[in-house]
Amino acid sequence: MTATQNPPPPPATSTAAARTVDACKVYGAGDTLVNALDHVTVEFERGRFTAIMGPSGSGKSTLMHCVAGLDTLTSGQIFIGDTDLSSLNERQLTRLRRDTIGFVFQSFNLVPTLTAAENITLPMDLAGTAPDAAWIDTIVSTVNLGDRLKHRPSELSGGQQQRVAVARALASRPSIVFADEPTGNLDSRSGGEILQFMRTAVDRFQQSIVMVTHDPVAASYADRVVFLADGRIVDEILQPTAEAVLERQLRFGN
Amino acid sequence: MLKVTLRGLLAHKVRLIATAVAVVLGVAFMAGTQVLTSSISASFDKVFSDVYASIDVVVRSTNEIETPFGSQRTRISDSVLPAVEAVPGVDAAEGQVVGQIRVLGRDNKPLVRTQGPPNFALNWLTEPALNGWTIVEGAPPAGPDQIVLDVKTSKDGDFAIGDTVSVAVSTGVNTYRLVGIARFGRLDTWGGAPAALFDTTTAQALVGEPGTYNWVSIAGDDGISQTELTDRVAAAIPADTEAITGKDFTAESQDAFQKIIGIFNTFLLVFALIALFVGSFIIYNTFSIIVAQRTRELALLRALGASRRQVLGSVMLEAFTVGVIASAVGVGLGVLLAIGLNALMQSIGFSGPDTPIVVPASAVISSVLVGTLITLASAVLPARRAATIAPMAAMRDVATESRGLSRRRIIGGAVLLVGGAASLWFGLFGNSDSGLQLVGLGAFLVFMGFTVIGPVIAPPMARALGAPLARFGGVSGRIARENAMRNPRRTATTASALMIGVGLVGFIAVTAQSLKVSTVEAINTSVTAQYVVNTDGFGSTALPISLVGQITALPEVSTAAGISATFANIEGDARVIIATQPAAFEKVVAITDVEGSFAGLDTNGIAIPKTMAKDKKLAVGDSLAVNFLHGGPSSLVIESIYDTKFPIQGPGYFISDELFAQVTPPDQQTVQSIYIDLTDTSAAGVAEARVPLDAVTSAVPGAELQSLKEFTKAQTDQANQFLVIVYVLLALALVIAIVGVINTLLLSVYERTRELGLLRAVGMSRRQVRSSIRTESVIISLIGTLIGLGIGLVFGWALVKALYDQGITSFAVPWVQLIVIVALAALAGIGAALYPAWRASRLDVLQAISSE
Ligand SMILES: Nc1ncnc2c1ncn2[C@@H]1O[C@H](COP(=O)(O)OP(=O)(O)OP(=O)(O)O)[C@@H](O)[C@H]1O
Ligand SMILES: [Mg+2]
Repeated sequence: MTATQNPPPPPATSTAAARTVDACKVYGAGDTLVNALDHVTVEFERGRFTAIMGPSGSGKSTLMHCVAGLDTLTSGQIFIGDTDLSSLNERQLTRLRRDTIGFVFQSFNLVPTLTAAENITLPMDLAGTAPDAAWIDTIVSTVNLGDRLKHRPSELSGGQQQRVAVARALASRPSIVFADEPTGNLDSRSGGEILQFMRTAVDRFQQSIVMVTHDPVAASYADRVVFLADGRIVDEILQPTAEAVLERQLRFGN
Repeated sequence: MLKVTLRGLLAHKVRLIATAVAVVLGVAFMAGTQVLTSSISASFDKVFSDVYASIDVVVRSTNEIETPFGSQRTRISDSVLPAVEAVPGVDAAEGQVVGQIRVLGRDNKPLVRTQGPPNFALNWLTEPALNGWTIVEGAPPAGPDQIVLDVKTSKDGDFAIGDTVSVAVSTGVNTYRLVGIARFGRLDTWGGAPAALFDTTTAQALVGEPGTYNWVSIAGDDGISQTELTDRVAAAIPADTEAITGKDFTAESQDAFQKIIGIFNTFLLVFALIALFVGSFIIYNTFSIIVAQRTRELALLRALGASRRQVLGSVMLEAFTVGVIASAVGVGLGVLLAIGLNALMQSIGFSGPDTPIVVPASAVISSVLVGTLITLASAVLPARRAATIAPMAAMRDVATESRGLSRRRIIGGAVLLVGGAASLWFGLFGNSDSGLQLVGLGAFLVFMGFTVIGPVIAPPMARALGAPLARFGGVSGRIARENAMRNPRRTATTASALMIGVGLVGFIAVTAQSLKVSTVEAINTSVTAQYVVNTDGFGSTALPISLVGQITALPEVSTAAGISATFANIEGDARVIIATQPAAFEKVVAITDVEGSFAGLDTNGIAIPKTMAKDKKLAVGDSLAVNFLHGGPSSLVIESIYDTKFPIQGPGYFISDELFAQVTPPDQQTVQSIYIDLTDTSAAGVAEARVPLDAVTSAVPGAELQSLKEFTKAQTDQANQFLVIVYVLLALALVIAIVGVINTLLLSVYERTRELGLLRAVGMSRRQVRSSIRTESVIISLIGTLIGLGIGLVFGWALVKALYDQGITSFAVPWVQLIVIVALAALAGIGAALYPAWRASRLDVLQAISSE
């Protein structure tokens, strides 16, 4: 299934939710030197759903970690909104992650000792701010978790856990959500549900989302797909369909 | 498989550090104690053999009595000397006079503290074959006004030849002129004890009786054996004397000292074992956690065909290696510890001269053995758990702790607790000979019971303790609480280690407080005197009996009564007997006559307490067989059965001061304390009386005037000093327990790497991470502390009940102390969390979330 009712692209005046300028990330030195990111300049528009694709080892996770303030660049710049990440210290970065960024990882997204509900409000609890109850209700009903809120992660299925993770990522109304292969561990049906939630969040709440994926079907939920290879942006597709993405992958021998 | 084990050891070396630390500390304590005590006893063995080196035969009285301070003998008459000298083979014979004195410093205070070795007075032996002293300056003593001091005393008192030196004995203060300074062999003292030397007549007048010696020392001609000479001398001496070889004489002194050192050694070893017991919890915990963390790896080994036995062996071999290495390091550290303590004891003058460190093989072997066995024993359960891991576990996700055991745990724990309580009860109240062992076993079982039940009670306790923290500490508080509850067994074992140390501290604190309150109460309800004169001397160095008369003569004083102590055999057993002026004593201490009349005690009579009369079914008019060392009646009639709350030293036998004067030599006729009742007992009157009382007592060296309040405080202060020592010794167990908390936290942090990474990724600040680990630590520490204090309170209560007849009549809880302990435990928890929390907060977020 493809997303056919996408809204028109936002006007060109809208500033990016996040962008990189000439981002380089080098691991190791000498023989073992790896250019994980090689002069990457890319924008992730506000209120849009962007997918990052590319062969294994192409630098997708590295790019996402750097943009999300979990890792630092070797050179270049990263902006979340108007904030240059390199100007922030550790404490400010932590606050940025807590207040303006949402995360969904491939696995191990939840704190095992907290209930689903507690996991969802975790960033706000860490900030010491009161969650917006109505908003949380909206999210919880969107991700369909109503009766599971009091359960611990170990009592939830993998799909349910990822739904809680998505709910948490959206709960603090972050200006951008990053998801690294959020459906990588799920069967296609649960995966589809997760992707539909993300799509809904973009459509209904103008949430900005960046998602790393290997799956052309997952990528087809996005508004735009960016292709990475050897640490460089090599291509992009707007309004992707699964077929287009697959064809693009086959063409470049992925 | 060996390769796997060794790889495992290397891979976990950091995780095994806590195990090693626990073993090292316990073993070091154990080895150190043994090395120290054997060094001290070796040094004193040497001291005695030096002191008596020139003696081949000793002639002494056969009349002796055992006392807690060694056996006492009567002196012998100098008339044996000519008979001894006539024995063929005797080269030289001379009588030795030995007594205790107090050499006074320039400030008129005794130079030597009573806690150290005693201050001796000796006669200067004129036979070169027998005299171990050499004059380093001046001349030997000759004449009634001359004194020679050892090098150390002359230095301590800053005395020079020609100076006047004052010496206090029971009969008063005498002054002498310092004519010489002497050294004993190579030593500055008489083998560790400070000494003053006089000519024989002067020494006899000062600390003996004219014409008597403590013993006669004999040196034989060359070529004649000690036994041969002893036999010859024995044939020539009167019936109430005996001859023994110099070797036996030396051995007797050595043995008496060994006995004291032996008690000291056992006392310290008990604390070493407590430390090792606490350490065993840390070892158990570490291996449990390592096994849990290696579940997948071990399961994989099993799947690949390793047998259960091989897995078990692998873990046990790991434990064995750690145990042996840590024990060896512990022994080394123990020797260093002994060297340090020995130097310390020497510097405060509590030890023999230049004690060389002796490392007995038995100390090394026993310490290494105990350390290794404890490590192995603590690792058995985790190793068995490792061996029962199913190969399937390799395929499953990370193992969570099994929980279904709580029922078996409750039953097992309850059985241990009931058994422990029963053992404790019989030990305390059962009149059993092995009471102390039963109490120890009971305590052990109760601690084990709580350890077994711990995983069941730890989560609810963590929930309750964490409730306020979760409420005010936000998410990090809530996460901390959940973390403290998520591995009940781990939390409980960690807390148990602390529980033991705190339990013992609490027990001792409660018992001591009860003892203190009981003593204060006993003194307050029984002593009607307003002042007490006290001394830290005993026997010949206590207060002159004449002081009682001097005080009574003061116009401000209505009544004064002194208390003296001596030893006698009563019905065949050596006992302390108290002597006083009965009529006067009744006026300063509340005594009720149950039967007969205490005030009417005469020279044929003895008074016994009500409880003894009941226990031994004695009544007024019955007679008791007695034997005083220095003669006197051979039986005494019970003339009084009394009752008092006054804390009396010993079993409570009282005799009159007249009888006391008959049965003790003049130099022993002293009083330990004097109770003074004033004519004007108003506050003003009491205050005014201080001046004249002080004038009389300050003239007596070693006498201390105390108001009743000061007296009470001095009594309880003694107990406090002992308490401090016990607390210091228990501190090691507590330190090991804290190491255990640090270890558990570190291992947990390691285990929760991903989780911590996730928390950091979604915005938990470093400070919040630290706070959460700290809170977890405080919760664990408080669980251990509270259970420990609970146990301590119950143990203390039981002991106090059992000691009711011994005069501990009140059960008192030192609330302030207990609250301080809880606060300290919380602080220790925070301290223990410092490093693990730092580690957790420094965790690399990226690595944490991307590591499998
Ligand atoms: N910590 C590191 N040290 C050294 N090299 C690293 C490190 N992390 C990543 N790399 C290298 O950087 C490159 C990019 O890695 P990255 O994880 O971003 O790839 P990816 O596109 O996410 O791959 P995948 O699809 O397999 O997740 C790879 O060549 C990888 O080997
Ligand atoms: Mg990746």
